[in-house]
Amino acid sequence: MRLFVALANTLRLYLTCIRNTLEAAMCLQFNLRVCLLYLQNFPCQEVERHNKPEVELKTSPELLLNPVLICRNEAEKCLIETSINSIRISMKVKQADELENILAKKFLRFLSMRAEAFQVLRRKPVQGYDISFLITNYHCEDMHKHKLIDFIVQFMEDIDKEISELKLSVNTRGRLVATEFLKQFI
Amino acid sequence: MAFFSSGSRALVEILTGLQSVERPMPVDHTLFEFGSIRYHLQASITDSENIYLSISTPSLSYEASPSSGLPEITLQETRKMYHKFAEIIEPAKEGYTLTLRLNFSGLTRPKDRTKAINQISLLQSVILSSQLKDMLASLGSSGTMKLVYNQRDPFFVSKTPVKISAIFPMRFRDDTDLAIASSFFQELQDLGSTSSSRAPRCSWSPIPPPELRGEYVHHLTTNGGFVSFDILARHVKGRRAARTAWILLNFQSYVKYHIKCTRSYIQSRMRKRLEIMTEVIDDAKFRGNDESRKKLQVRKRSKRRSIKFARAKKLQKGFKAVIDKIKRLRLRIRVKGLDRFRRHCQCFPVLKLTMAQRKEQKYQKLE
Repeated sequence: MRLFVALANTLRLYLTCIRNTLEAAMCLQFNLRVCLLYLQNFPCQEVERHNKPEVELKTSPELLLNPVLICRNEAEKCLIETSINSIRISMKVKQADELENILAKKFLRFLSMRAEAFQVLRRKPVQGYDISFLITNYHCEDMHKHKLIDFIVQFMEDIDKEISELKLSVNTRGRLVATEFLKQFI
Repeated sequence: MAFFSSGSRALVEILTGLQSVERPMPVDHTLFEFGSIRYHLQASITDSENIYLSISTPSLSYEASPSSGLPEITLQETRKMYHKFAEIIEPAKEGYTLTLRLNFSGLTRPKDRTKAINQISLLQSVILSSQLKDMLASLGSSGTMKLVYNQRDPFFVSKTPVKISAIFPMRFRDDTDLAIASSFFQELQDLGSTSSSRAPRCSWSPIPPPELRGEYVHHLTTNGGFVSFDILARHVKGRRAARTAWILLNFQSYVKYHIKCTRSYIQSRMRKRLEIMTEVIDDAKFRGNDESRKKLQVRKRSKRRSIKFARAKKLQKGFKAVIDKIKRLRLRIRVKGLDRFRRHCQCFPVLKLTMAQRKEQKYQKLE
């Protein structure tokens, strides 16, 4: 029980840290010291009439902020890369064993294939991570920023929860089926 | 969960139908079950009492019984089991391993007939279990034999004086199948090794058990390890032998069915979770999703209506007063005695001009 509470607390701290970083990156806290930069419509400096997420192109280093890496442990981490007109959030989901690894891979692939439903989800994750989001200034114009952050945080919580539940139910099913199989001999 | 009945449902259905018809009718059916078991049912109007049932089952091991016919022990078992209402016809129909002539006329009670039909539907399991028995007997006191029930998944039976071990090399096509099966095998091993029930002891290991020493390498190359069941004398006692043989023969199909069901379960769960997640992002939009917007609109409308009704009641009281006020506002201002004064004095006559007259006069606006 104590271990469970401790784990829940570390998860809460991890998620709070991500939330705060995202808030700062998306300039929700109007503190001049913290946010000198906020997501705005910023055309490409290199190519005329182009408006691309700078965090993806990385053509002008002056438009990029330092990336922030938040780690819960070696297996769970979150990379937040910010630029003048976009933010890229990449996550690595915990995979404790082979079954969790398979389930996480399967679930994240399932979500990535339906990226259009989420709008901010990247079809292909950044190398070294399991899933990535790309939030541009247009998304911030269309959506409530605080709700967008809520979504990212809830997404992380949901993925963890779903994988744990799936693992548990696969094992439970396996146990039930094994019991039924052995019952046939009796 | 998966339950592979050892009885053939199709056979039961056809034979029951034949027994219930009032007038005899000709029947000529060929059925396939589990991919490799073939039945042929034949009945004619002239000989309505006799039904000819032929069955073709693959040999479990070509090494042990290279001939196409059934071993004598199988025929004996069949005779023993079905002597009340069936008779073996020799030679069997061409292309089949065994032909039976069924005659249910001796069984007067419908209950007995139903029982007999159910027994007939178990024919394949009787044949397979007796074949297995024959093979094990031919092994002597100890030895190992490769059995091929499903062409793709052969398995091994090893015999020692104390027990018979059924060893299944498990192969899976992808990692997901392997992960689900591993979880299942782990549970099976835990239950099989710890339970004090009469179920056979089960073990799962990634390396081949010592009984399979000397087998070909390609038979022992697996990605899912080896599952083995230790069958003791109590598991094959009397009628249990056929049942145990049937369960073991279908073990690989059982595992595959479990994997298939679990995969579909995972898929359905993922779909549900996707719906929940998309709702959150939809709510983040400024205009919100359509449904929530509609709900809000409905709420607003109902609120407005209630407000309107409340106001209407208040206004109803002073409605007439308000209308009177409007009328008064619209009316010209009347000064008492002004008309009389106009008529008497004629001091400031006012011309009444139409629009056409006005245009003719060409009045100009003074700057």
